[in-house]
Amino acid sequence: MAALRRRLSRGLMFAILSAVAIVMLYPFAFMAITSLQSYRQYLNRSGYSLDSWFQLAEVLPVAQQLLNSTIVTVSAVAVILLVSAMGGFAFAKLRYPGRSLVLLAIVGGMMIPLQSIIIPEFVNIAQVGLINHFQGTIMVYAALGAPFATFLMTTYFRGVPSELIEASIIDGASYAQIFRRVMLPLATPALVTVAVLQFIQIWDDLLIGLLFLQTPDVRTITVGLATLQSSRIIDVPVLMAGSLVSAMPAVIVYLIFQRYLIAGLTMGMSK
Amino acid sequence: MLSRLAGFERPRLRRPDGYRRTGRLGASERRAGILFSLPVVVLTGALLFLPIIQTFYYSLTEWNGIRATWVGLDNYRSLVSDPVFWRVVLNNLFLLLSIPFAILIPLFVAFLLHQHVLGWRVFRSIYFLPTAISWVVIGMVAVRVFAARGILNDLIGALGLDVRTDLLTNEYTAMLAVSLTFIWSVFGTNTIIFITGMATLDRDVYEAARVDGAGSFAIFRDITIPLLMRFIQFAFILTLITGFTALFSLIFVMTTGGPGYGTTTLEFFVYQKAFAQGVFGYAAAIGVVLFSIVFAISLAQQRLLRSRED
Repeated sequence: MAALRRRLSRGLMFAILSAVAIVMLYPFAFMAITSLQSYRQYLNRSGYSLDSWFQLAEVLPVAQQLLNSTIVTVSAVAVILLVSAMGGFAFAKLRYPGRSLVLLAIVGGMMIPLQSIIIPEFVNIAQVGLINHFQGTIMVYAALGAPFATFLMTTYFRGVPSELIEASIIDGASYAQIFRRVMLPLATPALVTVAVLQFIQIWDDLLIGLLFLQTPDVRTITVGLATLQSSRIIDVPVLMAGSLVSAMPAVIVYLIFQRYLIAGLTMGMSK
Repeated sequence: MLSRLAGFERPRLRRPDGYRRTGRLGASERRAGILFSLPVVVLTGALLFLPIIQTFYYSLTEWNGIRATWVGLDNYRSLVSDPVFWRVVLNNLFLLLSIPFAILIPLFVAFLLHQHVLGWRVFRSIYFLPTAISWVVIGMVAVRVFAARGILNDLIGALGLDVRTDLLTNEYTAMLAVSLTFIWSVFGTNTIIFITGMATLDRDVYEAARVDGAGSFAIFRDITIPLLMRFIQFAFILTLITGFTALFSLIFVMTTGGPGYGTTTLEFFVYQKAFAQGVFGYAAAIGVVLFSIVFAISLAQQRLLRSRED
């Protein structure tokens, strides 16, 4: 009797979890199925074709914008990794006057909402002539991602025993050598976590790309997709094909590095 | 978080091993410390801290992006007497109403996942998937869900009900559609937070409760939830801050703030005022309001955490 009840309740749980899974997966199914229909087929709710994919290629420079997204995202992530690893090492392991105050300020930077700084940021970047250039956008993304990344790296480096550094110093290594040969290899899991979190965030961003990369040839795919909808009336299947293309890279990164994403989330919480 | 960091940094005059860094070694450590922290300091200083100071300054001016004239608190005065501003604040408050759902649904689902039923790992991956999707894409699909000829109406029709919804075209219901999408989007993150929290709980407590004859729901209510308070609080703050500062793209794609000002939240209001209407000083004042709210929320969280630690 007890066993039967247990099986029933397990079955019920499985049913609820499955229902939730359908709700979460539904948009993906909708995107995939709809993108395989022409507008007419979509309206009639029958038939499949690749029309919408060809049409997407006509209205949006897909390959160019995917490339733009890749350049911007990868570069910004690289900058974030470099500055946060260096900063994290300094804040966790090197003692110098004022370091706790500086760390507190940088971590406090996490509390600054993007919209609160976007106006002066835009004016400043425009003044140095970097609107529509990747460099400006990359640095803005890097600055926005740096506080959380630095926080994670500092937390991580604190867990590395100081004896390792002291032993290396006795062996005559410089701090730069210690950073490169001892600290960085040890920090690989934390670096991957930071990279994955930031990659997804930057790839998916709209506002910064929208303001700082304004012409279609330099736009990122996420911005291209968003402006596609607002610039002219376009049919749903084409938009769904575009959505799928723009979402794919981040989804692939997610599927490969899921574990690190979850680690990053819990690391942010435990402090 | 901040308090912990600061606490960790309390100066220790002498290291436990009695080894003090003075002289040449100490000087080179100081130099290395400054050099290594320099890049992140310069980067965030120029592109994060400088602009926030500028926002405060320009909120006290009339500014078109080129020329700024000092007007004192005029922008703030016009703000509080602007009915649109209060409408926008109301929209933000409406978003707050979705937070209980954004917490309780994930909490319940995490509890089910934690029973480790068949395929729970797969379910977990599926639930977390929206985390990788941009708000732009989520918004694109959400528009089709809530449209008059959309999926929501198909579902209602399939249930045999003779009701038709058109949430997005009505000024007073569009925010409901945005909120529902918001709840859907943060579901995965909050579920992961709670399931991580549940994994830290002691199995023995559950066994003891079961032996005492407590049912599943009683265990959930009287043991799981109290023990998870730290995680619930974290999820609450994260959801709150996401709702106030990360929905720009969703609103841009779903409604562009409309109909009317029906879905304009503070962060979207900043964008509209600055980049659609060109009143930069006024928009900066809204930016300051937004910053103050987020800052207050974060401080409140610090206080809560500290009181829990004592």
